Amino acid sequence: MTETTTSSRTAMIEVIKVSKSYPPNVTALADISVSIASGEVFFLIGRSGAGKTTLLKLLSNMDKPSTGLIEVAGMNIHQVTGNKLAKLRQKVGMAYQDFRLLTERTVAENIAISMEVSYKKPQIIRSRVRSLLAQLQLEDKHDILTGDLSRGEQQRVALARAVANSPTLILVDEPTGNLDATSTAQVMELLVRCSNSGATIVIATHDETLYRHSTHRVMRLHNGKLASLTRGNEI
Amino acid sequence: MNFWFSVFRQTGRNLRQTWTTQFMTCLTVSLSVLIFSFFYLIYLNMLNAGDKVSDDLRLVVYLEEEPGPEMQEQLRLKITQFDQVQEIKFISKAEAYSRFAKELGDNRDVLTDMPTDFLPASIEVTPLRSLRSLSQIKLFSEYLATLPGSQKVQYGQKWVERFYYFTQLLSIVVLLSGFLLILTATFMVASTIRLTIFARQEELELLKLVGATNNYIRTPFLLEGILLGLMGSLLGLASLYTLFQWILRHFSGAGFLDLFTFTFFPPEIICTIVILSIILCTAGSYTSMQKFLRI
Ligand SMILES: Nc1ncnc2c1ncn2[C@@H]1O[C@H](COP(=O)(O)OP(=O)(O)O)[C@@H](O)[C@H]1O
Ligand SMILES: [Mg+2]
Repeated sequence: MTETTTSSRTAMIEVIKVSKSYPPNVTALADISVSIASGEVFFLIGRSGAGKTTLLKLLSNMDKPSTGLIEVAGMNIHQVTGNKLAKLRQKVGMAYQDFRLLTERTVAENIAISMEVSYKKPQIIRSRVRSLLAQLQLEDKHDILTGDLSRGEQQRVALARAVANSPTLILVDEPTGNLDATSTAQVMELLVRCSNSGATIVIATHDETLYRHSTHRVMRLHNGKLASLTRGNEI
Repeated sequence: MNFWFSVFRQTGRNLRQTWTTQFMTCLTVSLSVLIFSFFYLIYLNMLNAGDKVSDDLRLVVYLEEEPGPEMQEQLRLKITQFDQVQEIKFISKAEAYSRFAKELGDNRDVLTDMPTDFLPASIEVTPLRSLRSLSQIKLFSEYLATLPGSQKVQYGQKWVERFYYFTQLLSIVVLLSGFLLILTATFMVASTIRLTIFARQEELELLKLVGATNNYIRTPFLLEGILLGLMGSLLGLASLYTLFQWILRHFSGAGFLDLFTFTFFPPEIICTIVILSIILCTAGSYTSMQKFLRI
């Protein structure tokens, strides 16, 4: 995977003193500051309810921080609107914890959506979908409605959709939660390939096999606070 | 290019997903177009009929004295002060006599003892051949009665009034059905688009998240409105045309239709109706988007 030196590279993500609270008085994130370099693979860990999903939602501009500032590719993403925001979102792929697949549509259609919105040519979309399905060993599911898939399969389709448009930032929420060892390996291989082609990747997980022997940085959240920030092999 | 490809594909999906509602809306729009254009067609044809009727329509002003050339000129001026007219004709006593004699034909013997100037001189005023002047004919006759030397004004009063009220009534019906058309087109289409938006809420949400532009999300709905307006009005006009042909075939020669030539809309009016319903339906779609599409 990528080099561990991050200081020399430009930051893809700057999180500065970010807090997020939900009414009435849930503090999901408290005073988080972190900088993630362009091309870095970054892990986000912590117990269920620690605030991992909340942070990813803020990074993907699904939600606004209560206080603090988030910059992605040098832009304050919560001030971007209109077509600029659309362009920004096309460059950020997110695999949601709850998948957000269109269950009445086929696997191929679901993956294609992220490319269609940036007006990719149909033949390019088709070949990209096939190649992704091959990498995740889902070739035979091409025309199946995603509602009919197992959760493990849905999870991989959600990931395929997130990376399909070759985004520069990939946010992945619990990518291996429903997967066996082989599928997990395939998913990680796919992410490594994205990383090798330059994408920045943030992975929220509580599967420690994903990062334990790596040199990637791992940030642990606890009750919305930053508990530790170390390399995977130092934990 | 790619944008329009995506937009058309998206529109196709919308239509497929909610085609029953779309179809019903299309039918409703076409029905209201049919009702509106039916009355409008009758109205237009009545206006033409008005032309024909006023061909024979003259106001006759009987005069106390036969006017000299100078007086004639003055009267002419006074008459045209009220309104433009098609023709003003002075009938002298002698002319009136000879006309009457002609009308009597074989019975003209009864006139032998009469002086040739026993009939009054008169002015025959032919109003312009428009429904507007027809509707003003009563006022016009009142005005003519005030002319110097005027004794009496005559015209086909009853007939004209009935015709006038009938066209008035018809124009109200046309207005009402036009109103109906506006209501159905905008409100039905608005509610259909609302249904489509609700049916695809999840997808629209996702489209937003993966970076679809506003135009990418909105244009399909506008297109749907345009399509509903186009299909609805074409269908409505086509059924009206069929009805029109059927009536012509079954009632021609039945007397009343021979009174006036019954004609279908000219192309300009057909275009106007189609464009109007497209605009209305698009407006309906637009209001729904403004209200229910939060982007
Ligand atoms: N929309 C919300 N409204 C209220 N509370 C929320 C909402 N989303 C998350 N939370 C709360 O914020 C905390 C962090 O949640 P989350 O980020 O989903 O944790 P994780 O993904 O690490 O399991 C939890 O206590 C959760 O209940
Ligand atoms: Mg979570």
